[in-house]
Amino acid sequence: MLARVADGGAGGEAWRMSQVVLFNVFNGLIVGAFYALMALGLSLILNLSGVINFAHGGFLALGAYLAYTLIPYIGFWGALIVAPPLTALLGLIVERLLIRPLYGQDPLYGLLLTFGLAYIFEDVTRMIWGAQSVPFQVPGWLMTSLSSQYFFLTGYRVFMMIIVAAAVGGLFAVLKYTRLGMRIRAGTRDLDTVSTLGVNVRVLRSLNFGIGIYMAGLAGVLAAGLLGLSPTIGANLIMPSFVAIIVGGLGSLLGTLIGGLMIGVVSGLAAVYFPSATEAVIYVMMGLVLLVRPRGLLGEEGRVH
Amino acid sequence: MALTPTCRINRHANKELVQEVPPIHAVRLDGPSRTSTKCGATNKQRIHRLARAPRAAAEQTIRTRERNLRKSHWRAGIDRRTLVKSGAALAAVQFASPFVIPARAADAVKIGLDNPLTGTYAAPGKNELVGCQMALDEINGKGGILGRQAELVVEDSTSGDAGVAVQKARKLIDSDKVNFLLGNVNSALSLAMAQVSNEKGVLHIVPGGHTDAVTGSSCHWNVFRVCNTTQMEANAVASALVKEYGKKVYYITPDYAYGHTLESGLVKAIGALGGEKVGGDLTPLGTVDFSSYLIKAQAANPDVILFLIQGDDMVNALKQAVQFGLDKKVHLAGAQQELEALEGLPPEARIGTWVMEWYWNQPGVPHVAEFVEAIKKRTGRPPTARNWFGYVSTWTCALGAEKAKSLKAVDMAKALQDFHLPPEIALGPNPAFYRAGQNQLLATLFVGNAQAKGSVPDDLFKVTKTVSGVEAAGPLEESGCKMTWPT
Repeated sequence: MLARVADGGAGGEAWRMSQVVLFNVFNGLIVGAFYALMALGLSLILNLSGVINFAHGGFLALGAYLAYTLIPYIGFWGALIVAPPLTALLGLIVERLLIRPLYGQDPLYGLLLTFGLAYIFEDVTRMIWGAQSVPFQVPGWLMTSLSSQYFFLTGYRVFMMIIVAAAVGGLFAVLKYTRLGMRIRAGTRDLDTVSTLGVNVRVLRSLNFGIGIYMAGLAGVLAAGLLGLSPTIGANLIMPSFVAIIVGGLGSLLGTLIGGLMIGVVSGLAAVYFPSATEAVIYVMMGLVLLVRPRGLLGEEGRVH
Repeated sequence: MALTPTCRINRHANKELVQEVPPIHAVRLDGPSRTSTKCGATNKQRIHRLARAPRAAAEQTIRTRERNLRKSHWRAGIDRRTLVKSGAALAAVQFASPFVIPARAADAVKIGLDNPLTGTYAAPGKNELVGCQMALDEINGKGGILGRQAELVVEDSTSGDAGVAVQKARKLIDSDKVNFLLGNVNSALSLAMAQVSNEKGVLHIVPGGHTDAVTGSSCHWNVFRVCNTTQMEANAVASALVKEYGKKVYYITPDYAYGHTLESGLVKAIGALGGEKVGGDLTPLGTVDFSSYLIKAQAANPDVILFLIQGDDMVNALKQAVQFGLDKKVHLAGAQQELEALEGLPPEARIGTWVMEWYWNQPGVPHVAEFVEAIKKRTGRPPTARNWFGYVSTWTCALGAEKAKSLKAVDMAKALQDFHLPPEIALGPNPAFYRAGQNQLLATLFVGNAQAKGSVPDDLFKVTKTVSGVEAAGPLEESGCKMTWPT
């Protein structure tokens, strides 16, 4: 199939169409991987702490702007390494001061708090870095297309895929093989029991929140290289991530990953046949999943609060 | 020991866990958590078991716990009264203390600005505000409006919520009693506000909402517009595109009023020159990833891809198009371009043919240099078209009142018919005036190419041709405006 595409655009209208479809599926997977990265952080926090973190997009924007500020001093690679942990540090402070008092309360409180925080973050970035978009430079050699046939495969996008794969793989490895990961998984199932078994749940929640925000910071730096960097970048990316979680199923990180990839592919296909619906189609998909399988693809029954 | 739990072996691994969980003080009495309890499992082993427990069993645990917690949960939950209260509080925040430039006189003339300060259009909205403030300071420095000091009352209309914009417009008119209403960046919000201002009979100036209808099919006697109509932009850029780059055009158009009218304007103007539309996509506002549209556009094999999207969307799309190397295969262009967007692009993505509605680098045009310096003092940046829109809008209020010798909307609107702006405000090579019977400002459009670097670092646009507003607008009848005046 791919070999036939590589033969070139010869052939009729039907052939051109199938090439566009194939390209868009491929491209959708790339875009979806990015949504998945953001959604995984959200999902991690939601699963353990029951906090629906609407401020996740704010942390993402913050990570991106921190990187933008750091690039003149330490370069793109330095910023890629330094900005996400800085964002995570800030996440830890926010968690300690604002979110911790709300654990165990009605989830609505956490939702309202983070919803407000999202607005505050957006306006703070606007005050510090200005309302209009700023140019975010990545190394020039990443910015070129690798193949003239698959022109959408740029160096940067391949690099982004590698980082996403590494981050997702790293996260799953931490969860599976480390003591912290084991505790997080156990806490996701039943936090009270984990607590009674002598685990410091406060620290566990903080660390888990930190990991989630680290993923947001990383997603922010990657997004800034791909898109323009403006204060609304987080708000624009957050909704697809929520949809990814719901489609994939609450409580399942693997589901979130699959949900993210599905969003990319489905909106890519919508762009071929019904371009003005690329955004709506995500929610239609969510609606269908909720109707047919309310717990999501890999979700757990009764997990929805 | 009374507190030590009993350990019942059960077929369900998890049920065992639930029942064997010792009370906290019991664990403490037993010493460090590593010590085995009666059941023969260390706490570490239990956590292990829980992490690996079959999902159904874990669910069982959670459900039991939830049942126990439900009562307290219910108390912690919110009831309808709380919800209504928080809703009311949220609504109150929206109306709380607008940002007022303090009045120096009790009987100040008030100018109400209802424009986006948050969301997608925050950047153009804030730049228009800077222009308004500068004009206000100049007006007050020269003795105010009809001898009274002028003051600006600013409200955030949001970027896309017509309901909020209308509420704020009513609030400015009804409770702040503003003499003039200014706004909005968003075309749809401009139209909604115009309905309110017309109903209340308040002079309304639209600084930067472009859709044709504002001074076309939905024109009102009291609504004036500073920025160009979309059709004017289309007419100005069409010939440059078809002559220099080819006839086959692909459109990437934002899916709202502005985009639709701009695209149909361009299809008309390019069609008249022998060009054709080979394809196009309507993209939702706030689309972040344009790659799927770009793949389609490339497959249609056009000579020119036109980007009609604005603001952050344009920045995203252009950046991706350049990453894909499309600029080397196809000519990338558009209609309206803004300095704000070019500043947000990395140098390699500052490409393409566009129209600027005002540009700061106009060698030899009088007063422009002074204006550039004055804005730079305020923002540290060269002025954008948005600064100029705000500046002209505010000055129009003062000039109209002076000419009419009145603050009555009808008198002022009549005085502004075919009113020519003085050169220190027009700031362009052609005369700038509000065309009678349409209330549309006809000034100058600047056609040219975006550039990575100009003579000075901030010179991001190379003007190749200026088109007068009169030429771009065509005859008045084509605007579709049928003005009716109050009797």
